Amino acid sequence: MLSPYRVLDLTTERGLLCGQILGDLGADVVKVEPPGGSAARRLAPFAGGEPHPDRSLTWWAFNRNKRGITLDLDTDDGRALMRRLAARADFLIESDAPGAHAVRGLGYEALAAANPALVYVSISPFGQDGPKAGYADTDLVMMAAGGPLLLAGDEDRPPVRVSVPQAYLHAAAEAAVAALIAHHERQRSGRGQHVDVSVQQAVAFATQSTILAAEAGPLAFTRIAGGARLGPLTGRFVWPARDGHVSITLLFGSSFGKFTRRLMEWVHAEGFCDAATRDKDWIGYFDLLFSGAEPVEEYERVKATLARFTATKTKRELFAAAQARGLLIAPVATTAELVASEQLAARDYWRTVAHPELGRAFLYPGPFARTTAAPIAYRRRPPTVGEHNEEIYVGELGLAPEELAALRARRIV
Amino acid sequence: VTAPAALADVKILDLMWAIAGPGATRMLADYGATVVRVESSQRFDVCRTVGPFVELPPGPESSVLFHNLNAGKLMLTLDLAKPEARDVMLDLVRWADVVTESFTPKTMRAWGLDYEALRAVRPDVIMLSTCLMGQTGPLADYAGFGNLAAAVTGFYEICGWPDRDPAGPFGAYTDYIAPRFNAVMILAALDHRRRTGEGQHIDLAQAEAAMHFLAPAILDQTVNARTQGRIGNRDPHAAPHGVYPAAGADRWVAIAVTDDGEFAALADVLGRPELAADARFATTAARLAHQEALDEIVAAWTRARDAAESERLLQARRVPASVVQSSRELCDDPQLAHRGHVVKLAHPTAGTTPIEGSRFVLSRTPARVADTAPTLGRDNQYVLETILGYDAERIAALAVAGVLA
Repeated sequence: MLSPYRVLDLTTERGLLCGQILGDLGADVVKVEPPGGSAARRLAPFAGGEPHPDRSLTWWAFNRNKRGITLDLDTDDGRALMRRLAARADFLIESDAPGAHAVRGLGYEALAAANPALVYVSISPFGQDGPKAGYADTDLVMMAAGGPLLLAGDEDRPPVRVSVPQAYLHAAAEAAVAALIAHHERQRSGRGQHVDVSVQQAVAFATQSTILAAEAGPLAFTRIAGGARLGPLTGRFVWPARDGHVSITLLFGSSFGKFTRRLMEWVHAEGFCDAATRDKDWIGYFDLLFSGAEPVEEYERVKATLARFTATKTKRELFAAAQARGLLIAPVATTAELVASEQLAARDYWRTVAHPELGRAFLYPGPFARTTAAPIAYRRRPPTVGEHNEEIYVGELGLAPEELAALRARRIV
Repeated sequence: VTAPAALADVKILDLMWAIAGPGATRMLADYGATVVRVESSQRFDVCRTVGPFVELPPGPESSVLFHNLNAGKLMLTLDLAKPEARDVMLDLVRWADVVTESFTPKTMRAWGLDYEALRAVRPDVIMLSTCLMGQTGPLADYAGFGNLAAAVTGFYEICGWPDRDPAGPFGAYTDYIAPRFNAVMILAALDHRRRTGEGQHIDLAQAEAAMHFLAPAILDQTVNARTQGRIGNRDPHAAPHGVYPAAGADRWVAIAVTDDGEFAALADVLGRPELAADARFATTAARLAHQEALDEIVAAWTRARDAAESERLLQARRVPASVVQSSRELCDDPQLAHRGHVVKLAHPTAGTTPIEGSRFVLSRTPARVADTAPTLGRDNQYVLETILGYDAERIAALAVAGVLA
């Protein structure tokens, strides 16, 4: 869908997904790494367990559909080559510290002077300027700074993160949207612009607007394992199953109440609660709890009843009932169960990607969307270090083979 | 001279509800797209019933979440269960560049508004359908929210402590991921149509898109047959790496030391410079092997002071650290204030409501965030008269038939 466009991807591990999204959609994405390879290639896990720059599964996860070149941007010759590449690019994506590329003469103003149509996307922890723009960051620190961290975890322990780093993914996906908004505008004006994406702001969206609670009113969410606490009420999303856990959206009101009603009908039919419990006003139940008409202890009793019931069923039984009865229940799945998913198999989700350098092929998570036009294809496995140096420097930029050899000898490429 | 809004020429007919869909069209509305949101007062958007609320007890216009997801859109109330509503919808399809919906597949079919029906009146229509599990497969019509997709795709399993049940990320987690993919697809499809004249149907399963945020762990499974479990706040590359107690009740500071230089700086700040030379802590590998001892040393220091003080002292030496910020702190955060992240807008009954601004800055065509979500029915007249050119008689007939409800 984006096949006419060239993308230069200068990102560190803080922005890799952005270029991959554009590459999945057909853009020609060139990943630019320092000689020897990106630091992101040192991130675990590794295929076969042994650290190797071409076997990082974190690298594989976010670099398919890209070609790869190496270039030392801290040398004059490296910068000159980058300026030549940027002159013919439609998008440039970077995630260095704010101002780092400007110091190299590779900031937006410098590159736009030669290529005014360039859409230049900067992803940074806190944004390009401001009191925290120079802060040191990691995934955990950004989840703390942006709000989601305080809301997750057991109440008697520190807040806890998802152990696959999430913060930069939120920002990188956000950056792809921002890049395409600027691209849409470019079709009219012929001009590019500088796009400034903040990880902190992107991550704040994962609080479901609760970061605004303090400005709105007195009620605030606090964390509790497998749920959330709002004022005096403890909402529970993780429930026991005979063989693990399930998630249940046990909520009330005009949208959720009917699901809860159907769930309680099942609980009653199997003899785990009386008719009075089944027949509570599940639409108006929040109001009853907040007004005190329904004691919180009674709500706790209902939850304990439900937990006793779900603990007698397997994850599979509960999920099957959810489909048959219209309930909001899903299994808490491991990656092993995910890979065995019948739904994903029926949709032919998984993609087999050949890694000839290892003599093997592997299953990758499939397209993030299906389309009737120009469907997402996995055209290229993630590049090995410098895999396309010759193709791009000689074949496309017009360097003589001996010039490339000299750059290699000087460790600029 | 300010440039016209980036998406001033984009027209979206938006039937989406909850978070994953409306979050996408909100981003596009910020940059000038005309978004006509269709909602029935007979079937409220679930977000109207979810807080935070600007007034208690909450009414349908009181939800900050709803305003945050629908700011800057137009609103037409339409009861799609009524047969006359379909004609209005098809007229809007002829007007729109993009039609978006986030129901289960059977819903649009039942209304006679599936892709084939839309294409019959608008051959180059772009239709985005986004539901939990996708338009096909045995779970196509499984209705659900982002907590369920987060559970079934594996986020819950790897968020929590190894000795405890899964804690899971907060809320409807995959709903916070999907809006970006939805917005990207709308914009890419517009570019494709501009160049080729071809419209399309986009099938975006919230679960499938969100799985890309777990891709390293999924590849660990498919490549190494290794199933990752819960590891608390540990990290394979950094130590100390955790959330440490601060002075006060439920106060925490996140600290992550990624290399020897940062560790030496941390040791200095702690007043224990000798730790940098201690064989137990001299390298990342050594620190990873002695994390418990390290955590005790760090926690003893953090516990004695305010979280903000720890952040300040550590960041002054470029050690990655942050207060684990609360809503109050985020609303007062000087960096977010600098970025204009929290915007206060006039609210029809509650005075003002806070919403979030755009999460990125476009240097030449910045976002414009000036209006809350429209109240139910606010733009019925504008949409029917100005956009669709209906006369007063036709509009009155629709109202009398209860279609505009």
